[in-house]
Amino acid sequence: MSTAAGGPAGGGLNPNQVIILGAVGGLAGIYLTMLNQAMDTTIFSFLGGIGAIFAAVWGADAVRRVCSYGLGTGVPSIGMVALGMGVVATMFGLTLPKVIGIPIIAGPIISFIVAAIIGLLIGLMSNKILMMNIPIMEKSMVEIAGAGALVMIGLSTAIAGSFDIVAIMPAVVETGFIALVFIGGAMTILHPFNACLGPDEKQDRTLGVAVSKGALIMALVGFASLAVESMDAMSGALTTIVGLVIWVVYFKKFMKNTHRDSYLVTGTGLLPSEEELE
Amino acid sequence: MIDPITIIDPITIILITLGGVLIGLGVHFIPVGGAPAAMAQATGVGTGTVQLAAGAGLTGLISAGFMYNNLAIDGIFTSVDYITVVASGAIGSMIMISVTMFVGQLIYVYGVGVPPVSAKVKKDPITGDVQDLYVSRGTEGHGVPTVSFVSGTIGGLLGGLGGSMIYVQLMEIVGDPSNMAVVALAGIFATGVFYVNAVLASYNIGGTIEGFHDPKFKRVPKAIISCLIASLICAIIAVPIMGGVV
Amino acid sequence: MVDPIVMDLGIVALTGALATIAGAAEDLESDVGSQSNPNSQVQLAAQMNFPHRIFNKAISGEPPAYGLWCASGATVASVLMAKEMSIFFAIAIGSFVAAIILGLFSVTAHMGRTASQKRFKQPVYMDMVLGHVPSIMAHGYIAIFCIVAFSYIMNHFMGHPFPLPLLAFLWGIAAGAIGSSTGDVHYGAEREFQNQPFGCGLNAAFSGNIVRKGEAGLRNGIDNVWACAKFGGPLTGLALGMTVFLDNWRTTVFEGMNTIIAGLIIVLILILANRMVEVKARKAYGPYKDEDGVEIA
Repeated sequence: MSTAAGGPAGGGLNPNQVIILGAVGGLAGIYLTMLNQAMDTTIFSFLGGIGAIFAAVWGADAVRRVCSYGLGTGVPSIGMVALGMGVVATMFGLTLPKVIGIPIIAGPIISFIVAAIIGLLIGLMSNKILMMNIPIMEKSMVEIAGAGALVMIGLSTAIAGSFDIVAIMPAVVETGFIALVFIGGAMTILHPFNACLGPDEKQDRTLGVAVSKGALIMALVGFASLAVESMDAMSGALTTIVGLVIWVVYFKKFMKNTHRDSYLVTGTGLLPSEEELE
Repeated sequence: MIDPITIIDPITIILITLGGVLIGLGVHFIPVGGAPAAMAQATGVGTGTVQLAAGAGLTGLISAGFMYNNLAIDGIFTSVDYITVVASGAIGSMIMISVTMFVGQLIYVYGVGVPPVSAKVKKDPITGDVQDLYVSRGTEGHGVPTVSFVSGTIGGLLGGLGGSMIYVQLMEIVGDPSNMAVVALAGIFATGVFYVNAVLASYNIGGTIEGFHDPKFKRVPKAIISCLIASLICAIIAVPIMGGVV
Repeated sequence: MVDPIVMDLGIVALTGALATIAGAAEDLESDVGSQSNPNSQVQLAAQMNFPHRIFNKAISGEPPAYGLWCASGATVASVLMAKEMSIFFAIAIGSFVAAIILGLFSVTAHMGRTASQKRFKQPVYMDMVLGHVPSIMAHGYIAIFCIVAFSYIMNHFMGHPFPLPLLAFLWGIAAGAIGSSTGDVHYGAEREFQNQPFGCGLNAAFSGNIVRKGEAGLRNGIDNVWACAKFGGPLTGLALGMTVFLDNWRTTVFEGMNTIIAGLIIVLILILANRMVEVKARKAYGPYKDEDGVEIA
């Protein structure tokens, strides 16, 4: 599984490593679901969820970097804008092949590129028109939007078994599961940094939260796919089980990291005394 | 395969863009004090800009979706119906924000024991009440004075109107209100565009604003330009999607 | 035979009642865990050398958080309904799953934030995690159940076109926005700062100096919810209940343009009511300074 959160304590991954991990991992997960069509099954749908986890780690890292500058408003807003751009770009990219008659395989890439363009535009406007003067705003917005789009496509693919809009529309949109994909994706991107915010925040702990929360949402979308007629129950159950296993592994890791990073983990006790606080 | 040129309708794009701009404008009217207001340290509602605007605007979207379904299901959608639907969205949003501000006010007055007061103006522009003497020490105002309340209802009106306009325009591209997939797509799409514009506007405000009397309100043109560009892109993208899915 | 309008109004009243319970539970859940804006003071306290035993849960803003809980609950419920489970149990199980997710997010939020405050020597107390999370989940369960239930009623009986998960998601965002705008002020401005005199906003100089000791022992989130349940919680319920009820009422009783006029009248009444409260408060509390700017209170 992902080594995203396994960076050396204290040191961690540099931004470019996370970008490559998120973009390549995310797209690979999404494209590997094409094994479904190749082998005429739906059992590989869980790979979409794994792709979404990679992308969520990337998004969470980008949020982490940009939010160390004061945005003037809370961390959650940037996650919501990510998925706001993401939903627009995702649906556009996945529909375009059908509209102009190009192969479906181009869909996720188009979504990803369109998301990056919208992100660049919003980043540019934030700095040039709204005068936020955050040096990494453009780059971060591109990353956050791209990650948001990949999380959405990944989770949608895990529900529908394919990223073809013909499959997505009845399985994800008509049932309303798109709401879960939208907000679940946003929360996996914005929650990790919001949850670990503080002067002693560590990258591996934050990104570990992203993996565990992405896995939790993956388990949920696996359950959701049970209601989709074109999916067999085994595939949905597999997505849920894989999600839960990843969650257990990374939740344990989070507990270990918390014990490592915090001042003191204690069963119960009094507040630190005056002398201790000196 | 559908010819993409035939489904790109300039009027639809303009109206969706206008909807986005209205959202961005509306956010500036909503009096929010952010975290300080939750400690009665700043005038306005004690929450974040995006959060309150989204709460109000999406309540409006629920109302508009309901009304559109009632009026368009028979297959005829006149311009009177159009006005009714977007007005219904605006009113739903206004009701939500007025109730929220009013109940918030009750908590400031009876739970915290502070009179509503603005610290940005000497006199309330609507009621003419003296403001600065009522500001408690070490704070920048508290509660929702009348001018902020009225400003907030205008903000709700614009936000709800913008959100519903986007939704209705998207629905009208397909013109099939009984298709559940289209309804859901238009709904989530309007939500996405709403968030993009609301966040851009809140970056412009930078945390807190008391309403249209606040000096920060002068920054509004910048937000309008940004929201115009962002919504235009979203609109150009949205139109082929809605035309292409069915 | 009952007049259909009576039946419709009964349904509207039911949605309003469910929303009232949901709003109250939503606010109290956020008070147990100290979510949303008052959390900034809990976060600050440790930095100002005031370590505490208050649950510091910054999952995200309340609206996205409740959007997720309600969307999850509604998703699970609609899957179970598609598998022909009874509606009541489907919503109950869906809300239970959502409450578990809420609990898991609470654990990472609390432990993550506290661990990131190492240099301020704020310890992680495991008994707090074990004590607060069930209470958070319980309050959250009530809120999620009620929101998903009234969304279902709107969707199924009132004919709202949005699918259940989307509708519940939107109402969750609205509920979170209302909860963080109304009830949290009672927690943030009053309960957190009972060591400051009543009748003024928090002086910025006292930021972070939250009350850390309770009637017996150290104060925790469960003590806070006990206080906020007397005022902040019920009023939040009133706000969400009024929003849902008034909005549905006007579209049920009236038709076409009249719904707009009725809505405008409601807003106008609220503006006037707000003005009355404002005048009353100004008269009752009086100015803090006299006309030369000298402090008199």
